[in-house]
Amino acid sequence: MISRPKSYLFTLLLTAGLGYPAVAQDVPEGLQEDQCVVCHTDLEALPENFVFDNVHMRPRMSCAGCHGGDRTTDDEEIAHAGDFVGVPTAEAIPSFCGSCHSDINYMRQFQPSASTDQVSQYFTSAHGQALRQGDENVATCISCHTSHATLPASDGRSSVHPFNVPDMCNGCHGDAALMAEYGFRTNQYGDFVESVHGTALLERQDIGAPACNDCHGNHGAMPPGIQSIENVCGMCHVNNAEFFESTPMAVAFAEEGLHACEECHGIHDVAKTFDDMVGVGDESVCTMCHDEGDRGYEVADSIHAQLVMLKSVQDSAQVLLERVQNIGMDDVEISYSLRDANESLIQARTAVHSFEPEKTGELTDKGVESARAAMAMANEEIEGFRFRRFGFGIATLFITVLTVALFFKIREIESSRAS
Amino acid sequence: MAESRRKFLNILIGGGIVGWLASVLYPVVSFLKPPALPEANVSALKVGPVADFAAGSSRIVKFGRTPVLLVRLDSGDFRAFAATCTHLDCTVQYRTDKKDIWCACHNGIYDLMGRNVSGPPPRPLEQFVATEIEGEIVVSRLEA
Repeated sequence: MISRPKSYLFTLLLTAGLGYPAVAQDVPEGLQEDQCVVCHTDLEALPENFVFDNVHMRPRMSCAGCHGGDRTTDDEEIAHAGDFVGVPTAEAIPSFCGSCHSDINYMRQFQPSASTDQVSQYFTSAHGQALRQGDENVATCISCHTSHATLPASDGRSSVHPFNVPDMCNGCHGDAALMAEYGFRTNQYGDFVESVHGTALLERQDIGAPACNDCHGNHGAMPPGIQSIENVCGMCHVNNAEFFESTPMAVAFAEEGLHACEECHGIHDVAKTFDDMVGVGDESVCTMCHDEGDRGYEVADSIHAQLVMLKSVQDSAQVLLERVQNIGMDDVEISYSLRDANESLIQARTAVHSFEPEKTGELTDKGVESARAAMAMANEEIEGFRFRRFGFGIATLFITVLTVALFFKIREIESSRAS
Repeated sequence: MAESRRKFLNILIGGGIVGWLASVLYPVVSFLKPPALPEANVSALKVGPVADFAAGSSRIVKFGRTPVLLVRLDSGDFRAFAATCTHLDCTVQYRTDKKDIWCACHNGIYDLMGRNVSGPPPRPLEQFVATEIEGEIVVSRLEA
């Protein structure tokens, strides 16, 4: 139970958080009998960032559902007496939220399939473990979900909507002063927004792209370890992970304590891949470990050559396809064939993670064959166009000759009539 | 002189008429002869008699420029989706054993409603309509 001075302090804190210009008539239907809502709206003393759409603002839940007290009276002292809790301490928050969210019988009234292990997961996380050790600066439930603007993750306004998660995590992880206490870097967000994942999620608004929680977990957030990183990436990049796992390289990486995917692709700054990442050129990641003369160097060089070969034939076929399209000839079958070539290229790029030139070569050969078939069809169409153009020229010539001849014939007939 | 000029003119006129007829008739004959390939912009595509599709089977048909995956479910119902994976445009396929739609490029998986359920695909497959008309299956675009 909270002491009276603390209760006044709470009221003061609430009034200090002015800024929500709500008035009595703003109280939504269903909450008009709820005296906590009515008084705090009248007094314009709703908490900062409070929204009425908050999932907890429903009859028999609302403020008293979390803070306790008596929602039926407008007497401030009575309302704030009994089991009233003002501002819970960080340490108390998981059990505060867990009193409902860990109770399956209670939660299934709202969501029959609701999971109720968030609090137990939380205490396995880096945040939860630090909180257990008395660190009250770490994230608790409200750090991510907010106190009074708690919305479903599917709601674009929610702090935990995928588009908002990176910014939300960066609220703490981008705070240099706070992170300095833990010896953590603060460049994760900057790296992420520039990465292929960040660009897809934040610029293209592609909900399928990962946010922080997709790799680190939600309530049980932890940095992925050496053992798990390829499984984490493998949740989406399934084939790449499977290929890699079956190679001797996976064993060597584990022995050396190297993070599988991360060593070549980076962590938060994962860039869009390109063919020159493989091979022995300046931009190759293979040469970070392999030197001229070793088997890995040769493998990298030959896989790169295969990819470059297919890409170059594919590009030539693409140029011809564009010509066919420009001259208005039939491009359907050419497009299908080129599509097959592109598919082979995509599969070969994935098969790079097998580090077997035989495997990648099989795919690139198939792709080259499709691209060459596309080129042959395109050339046939271009030839057909030339034939039509030539035919049109000949037809025009015939018509011109016919017109001129008719002109002279008419003149001849007229002159023979005159004579 | 006049005789040879007349003869020359007659040859020119005759040749001109033959050439003109050829240039008119060639496109007419080409038009009447069915083209080797179907027209690119199709609104509906007849893909064959219902009896040709066993339950639990699938076929990729060319709907103009779009490959369409036609699946006959075990229940006998037909479903059709654009066979283009929403990740990187590879062609997806129906897996009879696993009862799902799969993209071999990156192991993307869709359910039999075309919804992306695992792997990298960010969106569901575009839906098409497969209708039985007088014993034939006709695939058409889903009206907005």
